[in-house]
Amino acid sequence: MSDMDDAYKDKILEVENLNVEFSTYGGVVQAVRGVNFSVGRGETLAIVGESGCGKSVTVQSIMGLIPTPPGKITAGEARLRGNNILNLPAKEANKFRGVEIGMIFQDPMTSLNPTMTIGDQISETLMVHRHLSYADASAKAVALLDKTRIPEAKKRAAQYPFEFSGGMLQRAMIAQSLACNPSVLIADEPTTALDVTIQAQILELMSELQKTEDMSIILITHDLAVVAKMADRVAVMYAGQIVEMGAVDEIFYESAHPYTMGLKEAMPSNRNDRAKKLTPIEGSPPDLFSPPAGCGYYARCPHAMKLCETKQSEEFILSSNSSHFSKCWLQHPEAPKTDGLFQAGDEHAS
Amino acid sequence: MLAYTLKRLLAGIVTVWFIATATFTAMHMVPGDPLMNDKAVSAEIRANLERKYGLDKSAPEQYVIFMKNMLSGDFGISFTQQNRQVNDIIRDHFPVSATLGIMAIFFATIGGVLWGALTALYRNRLPDIIIMFLVILGISVPSFVFAALGQLLLVNINSLFGASIIPVAGWGTFSHMLMPSMVLGLGTMALLTRLMRSSMLEIVNEDYIRTARAKGLSPSRIFFRHQLRNAILPVITVLGPQIAAITTGGFVVELVFAIPGLGRYFVQAVQQLDYTVIMGTTVFYGAFLVLMVILVDILYGFIDPRVRLS
Ligand SMILES: Nc1ncnc2c1ncn2[C@@H]1O[C@H](COP(=O)(O)OP(=O)(O)OP(=O)(O)O)[C@@H](O)[C@H]1O
Ligand code: SF4
Ligand SMILES: [Mg+2]
Repeated sequence: MSDMDDAYKDKILEVENLNVEFSTYGGVVQAVRGVNFSVGRGETLAIVGESGCGKSVTVQSIMGLIPTPPGKITAGEARLRGNNILNLPAKEANKFRGVEIGMIFQDPMTSLNPTMTIGDQISETLMVHRHLSYADASAKAVALLDKTRIPEAKKRAAQYPFEFSGGMLQRAMIAQSLACNPSVLIADEPTTALDVTIQAQILELMSELQKTEDMSIILITHDLAVVAKMADRVAVMYAGQIVEMGAVDEIFYESAHPYTMGLKEAMPSNRNDRAKKLTPIEGSPPDLFSPPAGCGYYARCPHAMKLCETKQSEEFILSSNSSHFSKCWLQHPEAPKTDGLFQAGDEHAS
Repeated sequence: MLAYTLKRLLAGIVTVWFIATATFTAMHMVPGDPLMNDKAVSAEIRANLERKYGLDKSAPEQYVIFMKNMLSGDFGISFTQQNRQVNDIIRDHFPVSATLGIMAIFFATIGGVLWGALTALYRNRLPDIIIMFLVILGISVPSFVFAALGQLLLVNINSLFGASIIPVAGWGTFSHMLMPSMVLGLGTMALLTRLMRSSMLEIVNEDYIRTARAKGLSPSRIFFRHQLRNAILPVITVLGPQIAAITTGGFVVELVFAIPGLGRYFVQAVQQLDYTVIMGTTVFYGAFLVLMVILVDILYGFIDPRVRLS
């Protein structure tokens, strides 16, 4: 665990108190409500949580991709090597977008321009940011496609997106995002739209490239199996907030938030306890038009207490190196003991 | 692409044949015939004339003769204009109509794409609101009204300068052509503006535009390289039918501006039931339009790789 601790100290990206809302006809949606996290050099941070909990909005805010209006970043900072990158005008943002931070998306089929060759779309990035000539940029594009294991890269570079399969397109997206050797790659559900067998290949490619390119990865997913395979650290998001964050082992084996527990119990396990019944989390997340004053999980939580309804919990730090925290009153020293959940004072498993 | 083009050409030939047959049938079902206009022809002269033009033969026979002649590119002689070849009429007057039409289409397409892109950029702000109001006018007001207004404008300009700066009617020089082609293209331009606007607004929300922003491209590069080309596609698809609309609209504009185009002969021929001229001009126009639609399809394929390569 020690090199992970070192990585944690060397923070490339720090997000602090991020708040994002959307003005809609129905009112103002508070999509992200005070999110804090950081990404260390070379590590993979997974963000998990139910649909609509604000995962995409969080990372798109960092990239300046939130449509404004209706969206608005109302508070917070995102610091890339110490410099705030939130709410920058396009001209400033384009100094880091595609250069320092690359991004790939859920649906590779629609994420590439249908009337431009794959090669041209990759070389465009190089021409804009690295001022390469068209010939040099095209050659580099082929090399990048090769690097992402696209067979016959040269021929493929001259083809259009509709001539590619989904998996191949996601490889091309990865190649494109790597063009300027970014230090952070944001992947928003990169495998959700792909076949299971292809999913594994793409994830493998990503972890491999992470090592060779020395990148940090922010990986959004709702698949805990993907988290287990890829992540160093995990942020569990619920209703626009991070409710628990920690090293991957802490999240899986010392889950300290009832919602994390719920996610785990809803996950099909592919190993020995196949017979075990899956229990989906009952109910639905709170309405983000008027978020509850207390804990967002109150209505669904099996351990809910009186206090939870009216007052939000603070982030209780659970491990000595402060990597693990839970935003739940059960971590309060005076809270009742609960079976199964990791609570402050419990013995660490490792 | 070659197979695609050949297929389209073949379908085009069938279409033209269908147009020819339909016109032939329709004409023989209309009461009266071209000789009715020559008052007081004696039965004998009439019989002679009928023999000369082949009108004494049965309809199927006439159809076969007509088809045969058409295939050899001969549309026959006009009934009403002393022995003038239909081919000559087309040759003399079609270039005028074609010039007018092409200028109108050119004007409409450039204008439609530019205005459409502009309104999308200024969505819901003043330029957008003004242009979209004009677009509604352009779509709903018929072209002869614009033709008259256009002439009025030219008269005013000329009287302001005290000289004939821009001719109000007639044909010959480039300045003759400006106003009629603008008037003729106006409706189409309005339509294309609206189409281009909605197409641009739709594409702003496409995933690949988000990708382009995530790549760190400048807004102008995204606009020109990613948005515009994709937004033009739906505009091109309606260009074929719009060429047809402009061609038929041309008949009216030619009349108002006293332009010696083919449209005038076409209208005259219908009034006088001049069989050969009707047949000739209809088939010719039909073939021309079919060709235009095919050309537009090929152009589409040129811009959209999905069509070109599959
Ligand atoms: N353009 C928008 N306009 C209005 N509301 C929005 C917009 N984009 C996001 N939201 C709201 O923000 C909330 C968070 O959305 P987000 O896309 O971040 O969810 P997510 O966690 O990525 O979910 P998923 O797993 O389905 O991708 C949602 O409740 C959504 O309604
Ligand atoms: S704060 Fe209360 S309601 Fe919220 S998760 Fe913890 S115990 Fe449940
Ligand atoms: Mg999402």
